[in-house]
Amino acid sequence: MWWRRTLSRSCRWCLGCRHSGAKRIWSFHYRALRSAPAVPAGRITALQALDIWKRHFEEEGVTEAEQSSQYIIAHLLGAKTIESVERQRLTEFLSKEKMEEVWQLCSRRLSRMPVQYIIEEWDFRDLTLKMRPPVFIPRPETEELVELVLTDLKSRSADTETRQTCLEVGCGSGAISLSLLKSLPQLEAFALDRSQDAVDLSRENALRLGLQDRLRVYHMDVIKDAERILGLFSSVSALVSNPPYLFSEDMASLEPEIFRFEDHAALDGGENGLTVIRQILTLASDFLLNSGRVYLEVDPRHPPLIQRWVEENVEGLQYVETQNDISGRPRFCILQKAVT
Amino acid sequence: MAHRRLVSHLRRGSEWITHFQKPHFTGSFVIKQLPDQYVRTQRLLHTGQPAMMMKLLSVDELFAKRSLQEHLKKLEKEYKECLQAVTYSATEDECSDDEKKAKRTKVSQLAPLIQSIQELDKKQKEMTETEMLLKDDDAALRELAELERESCSQDIQHLRQKVLELLIPEEEADMSDLVLEVTAGVGGQEAMLFTAEVFEMYEGFAQYHGWSFDTLERTSSDLGGLRHASASISGPQSYKKMKFEAGVHRVQRVPKTERQGRMHTSTMTVAVLPQPTEISFTINPKDLRIETKRASGAGGQHVNTTDSAVRIVHLPTGVVAECQQERSQLKNREKAMKALRAKLYSMKLEEETSKRHNQRKVQIGTRGRSEKIRTYNYAQDRITDHRISMTVHDVKSFLLGEELLNEMNSSLQEFSNQETLIELLEDSHPQEL
Repeated sequence: MWWRRTLSRSCRWCLGCRHSGAKRIWSFHYRALRSAPAVPAGRITALQALDIWKRHFEEEGVTEAEQSSQYIIAHLLGAKTIESVERQRLTEFLSKEKMEEVWQLCSRRLSRMPVQYIIEEWDFRDLTLKMRPPVFIPRPETEELVELVLTDLKSRSADTETRQTCLEVGCGSGAISLSLLKSLPQLEAFALDRSQDAVDLSRENALRLGLQDRLRVYHMDVIKDAERILGLFSSVSALVSNPPYLFSEDMASLEPEIFRFEDHAALDGGENGLTVIRQILTLASDFLLNSGRVYLEVDPRHPPLIQRWVEENVEGLQYVETQNDISGRPRFCILQKAVT
Repeated sequence: MAHRRLVSHLRRGSEWITHFQKPHFTGSFVIKQLPDQYVRTQRLLHTGQPAMMMKLLSVDELFAKRSLQEHLKKLEKEYKECLQAVTYSATEDECSDDEKKAKRTKVSQLAPLIQSIQELDKKQKEMTETEMLLKDDDAALRELAELERESCSQDIQHLRQKVLELLIPEEEADMSDLVLEVTAGVGGQEAMLFTAEVFEMYEGFAQYHGWSFDTLERTSSDLGGLRHASASISGPQSYKKMKFEAGVHRVQRVPKTERQGRMHTSTMTVAVLPQPTEISFTINPKDLRIETKRASGAGGQHVNTTDSAVRIVHLPTGVVAECQQERSQLKNREKAMKALRAKLYSMKLEEETSKRHNQRKVQIGTRGRSEKIRTYNYAQDRITDHRISMTVHDVKSFLLGEELLNEMNSSLQEFSNQETLIELLEDSHPQEL
């Protein structure tokens, strides 16, 4: 269990986080760890609440102090960003109940819980997805991975008659598969994840977006359940994955938001970050149609390693290209099944 | 009649239309990067000439003009010649392919206008015949003729209106969507509060017309006003209408922040930038630098940040667009890109227009963004547009961005159309004016 490992690294918060439910962790932090600012006796406006919490986060060394207070308070006012809250509402007094909610949610941030878990949702491309610990929170780079796959699938759908299908390994919240389904009304998707929490969350998100009919989610581990997986999928048009790709040695240097709250199995890719990637590439040509493609998000150090490894170890799979993310880092690998 | 409602007639010899020019684009932001002559043109606008005032002519008055009739005849003749060339030259092979192609385009461009002119001629003949019948001895026939004449005259009005509309050339940008930018001017917090009200007015205006209104960027002030904001607006006729809103808007009132009840005058600026389509205007991705919070460090799974703001710099010009309106970084990037494209596109249009027209006159819509176009006076509860000296009352309703704003906006459009038309006639028949 991932949290046992973190526990052994003297992270006591996680215990509370996993077992005691939101209210109790909050009070736990409130008393024992970091204290929230006193709830004001009089009435205050949203703008004043934003300022109090921003300053408090700064004092307590919570990262992204301003954004955190803005996102949480905007969420409680029914908006996504503070910029989109009507200006009048910011200068109005908060009701007693609202103020209590602000204090309750902002206090959770003192434990370094990611904002996405506190407000229980986040946006990915044009979707709003439910977020729940410890399921991996999608990163902006993955929005670009989806863009890449979409462009490719769209251009390829022109010259095939058959219905396109895709398989996602390690679906987490379902962000990738659901985005593809949303943009390609003809596509069908299969997704698998080794964590039951992720499988549940993916299904829940699919249901909320009305995409459940075209997505099947399986609770499977790509390494342990390889045999079963091979029997299930064949002839898919695309294999997509944002696999765990961090080098194990880098895990310790992660920010507390990630280290304490996100599923380590979704992050830790083994000694050189390649454990899951190699497994996916080994199985890929069995899943794929002729000329079907693999799209991977990886660590910037990975592309040359992957290319060499595939050339030496995997028959029937060709390395097509490496694409950079918008910050110019080699981030995405595209491979293709040879025609047999 | 809307056409008749307005304004004193100011005529200075034959110069009376010399401060009008076709509306090509509206307000912008990069004057320092433009050629010198443009700056000179800008200065010309501040020579203290009174705001343009002219009489709006009725459709009938326009049709009574000899220049208009001649212009229509000229177009008909041109159309026939082109049509003939296109139809018969297939065998005779007199002109080159390019010429033929140009003529074919001309034919398809003129076709709807010519059709309307011909229908109009036909109706006018019918009218003459009907008028003969009015003198008939048979009373029943006369009654019938009377009815006939009424419907005929209605049709003629409609057709004339249509002909006038078809005569006015579409501007390149008229079909575009747009990016609206508002910026607080003189007057501190009060100017920022007014900027927020104007921004909301245009949100209302977009809703009134069924356009989409998507905020791209917002910089708020402490009191809930706006320092600066921009929005992407799209929908039929959106640019065509919104271009008349660009310029400096002035508010005169007692600010909420004023303790002694004194009246203040504050300003804000509206810029309206046409939004080019992907095909008509391309930007080389190599010319862009995209800045995000994630640019430093390892990115990817190593980092979880909620700061999804994106800033894009166009390296050759230094033009910058930012967006932090969305929680998705990709969405912010798309929005910033939209704003950047609009900025670069209007720079391009501005440069082209200033080259073409720098010796010429100025008209609604083309004034620099430093031109004061409208005053909102709370004490008198009135809004005055200085370009056409039109005043309407009820500031509160006006700021909803509904009927009252639309009425003023339509008057501006009527004026602008007429100017374009008169300029067109002047160009083709200069001796008459």
